[in-house]
Amino acid sequence: MPRLASFNGEERFNFLLALIGYLQNRGPVSLAEAAEHFDLEEKYIRAAVTSINELTAEVGDFEQWFFYIDVDALEEDGILQLLENEVIENVPRLSTRQASAIAAGLNYLATIPEFANDKDLIELQNLLAAGSGRGAVATVEVVPGTVEAGSEIIRQAILQGKQIRCEYFNQKGERALRDINPIRLDPRSDGWYLRGYCPINNAMRNFRLDRMRSIEVLETAISNEAKSVGEIDDALYVADKTDTTVVVEVQPEAYRLISEFQNVAEPKSIESGNIRAEIKVGHLPNIARLVAKYGGAAKVIEPLEARSFVKTYALKALGRQPELTNQVQDEE
Amino acid sequence: MQITCALLFSQRGLSKKELFECIPSYRDTLASGTNEESVFRMFERDKTDLRNTGIQVEIKENLVDGDDIRYVVASDTFVWPKQVGLNPNQLQLLNLAAGVWAHASLQSDANRALVRLRALGVAPAASDLIGYAPRIKTHEPAFMPLNIAIDSCQEVRFSYRKPNGEISLRHIQPWALRNIDGQWLVISFDLDRNATRNFLLMRIVSKVTTVKIDDTEVTFAAPDSKLITDAEAELSELINTQVARLKVKPDSQAWFHFQLNDQPSTSDGLVSVAYLDMHLLAEQLREFALDVTVISPVALGEAIRSGFEKVVEAHA
Repeated sequence: MPRLASFNGEERFNFLLALIGYLQNRGPVSLAEAAEHFDLEEKYIRAAVTSINELTAEVGDFEQWFFYIDVDALEEDGILQLLENEVIENVPRLSTRQASAIAAGLNYLATIPEFANDKDLIELQNLLAAGSGRGAVATVEVVPGTVEAGSEIIRQAILQGKQIRCEYFNQKGERALRDINPIRLDPRSDGWYLRGYCPINNAMRNFRLDRMRSIEVLETAISNEAKSVGEIDDALYVADKTDTTVVVEVQPEAYRLISEFQNVAEPKSIESGNIRAEIKVGHLPNIARLVAKYGGAAKVIEPLEARSFVKTYALKALGRQPELTNQVQDEE
Repeated sequence: MQITCALLFSQRGLSKKELFECIPSYRDTLASGTNEESVFRMFERDKTDLRNTGIQVEIKENLVDGDDIRYVVASDTFVWPKQVGLNPNQLQLLNLAAGVWAHASLQSDANRALVRLRALGVAPAASDLIGYAPRIKTHEPAFMPLNIAIDSCQEVRFSYRKPNGEISLRHIQPWALRNIDGQWLVISFDLDRNATRNFLLMRIVSKVTTVKIDDTEVTFAAPDSKLITDAEAELSELINTQVARLKVKPDSQAWFHFQLNDQPSTSDGLVSVAYLDMHLLAEQLREFALDVTVISPVALGEAIRSGFEKVVEAHA
């Protein structure tokens, strides 16, 4: 639900249009109901009424009012009533960008099995496709990747409030049988995550679905601790006391490595495209795979220990360490 | 707001002179002695603000009055169809769709659309626990400028670095953004190559700048949707024809990743992976380098290897 705690110019303008449209469609309505409908405090609605009533322009030689909301009815009975409306139709208009942001969101939802055949969703998709000035093709779209196996089982567990048990590769690369209190599934474009309460750590943890197998729903209900988690932050990184700070330098091709930790601006020049940033790593040896995957577009500056993890991993993969030759799986 | 109302009210549009007379802030600014040019710049800024909220102010040549150009509100913005209402469940879906955007400015575009749709007077269904919080991430800083350029049909330039390190300046008409398997790319018309080209956003190594002539952005006609669907079809054909063969170590993390335990036919650890870009696949596979052997294509194995060489060099 959009929260318009404070208005900037665009938000305000946007809201004024919506309010007029609403009053036009709805007819007289109480101030309280309008405030609730837009999820705003009454004082904002009052301020908006004043602004709307003040809108004028000089047309020809006389001043023209566009709208008039009955001030007496508002003061005396707390009723909002639009008396004059010279311009706005009772149908909302969206900008191409607004429509395409919503359309892309809907199309993305449609890639999730739960919504795949949702009649309401299909209707909305068709509506936005048909009505946009740009024809039926969305300007922004996420093409469905593979839906992770197990997501439906986990979703059922979440809805039933049950714990799950699965085989899991933790970030140390250790395989173990884990019990998890599943809270929320986060399908992301780079893979699916389960946000769950972990009884071992007594804390919220992220679990990647591509590291799970043999998932089963247990009879045990999720714990009270898990129930009291409340709202979950969208950021995937959850700080932990034992995390190590690693300074990395990344080229644009590896911005993804740091984007979870800081906003990345467009490079001013090609030379300034390489940026240094701090990232947090829970289990330091993991830095090796995180950094090495970028094939040189990311490098560790410090600590030295982290640098050597990366180097050792890359050498291992290249088969350069004599004592490890047998383990190396490589093309050549 | 006043500009919009004045333009909508006048129906046949307003000339610059009329606009300056009827909008109080312009009138007052002019009256205070500011020259017409700065007021016109004010108007240009307001036009941009309006465009961001969905109101496109267009220039209409007025044939009757000859030299007189008039400003009107364009009709090509998205208008919610009159006969179509929303049910509470649909509003709930729209809320969820708006929440999908993890990028602040897209999120606000989507949220503004929601506020606008509230004009229909429908309240969303109670937010049941649906168990999902889908999010679309846009890690690449080039995403927003490209999105804006696509929206306003502006030509752009940027530097693009190929996997071999070669950098070239590109000049394109951006058509659409697609996220394929977690990677954003822009479908576009490459003006230097005179052909449809796709660019991975992660390989854009400079700012994305709009192309200007005499301080005015160069625009192009919105592409026919067939051009975009053709480009998409070509992309998916490309993905289907590029297949890598891999051997995965049993019960390793890579084994989990490729979901091999659910497919008895691949119990020998052989797996085929269709890919969009070999170097992106190489990037993915470097994470599992110790568990995966590339059987084909040979070039993929080489790409993985040369990446590791660079990693060793960078950490020497």
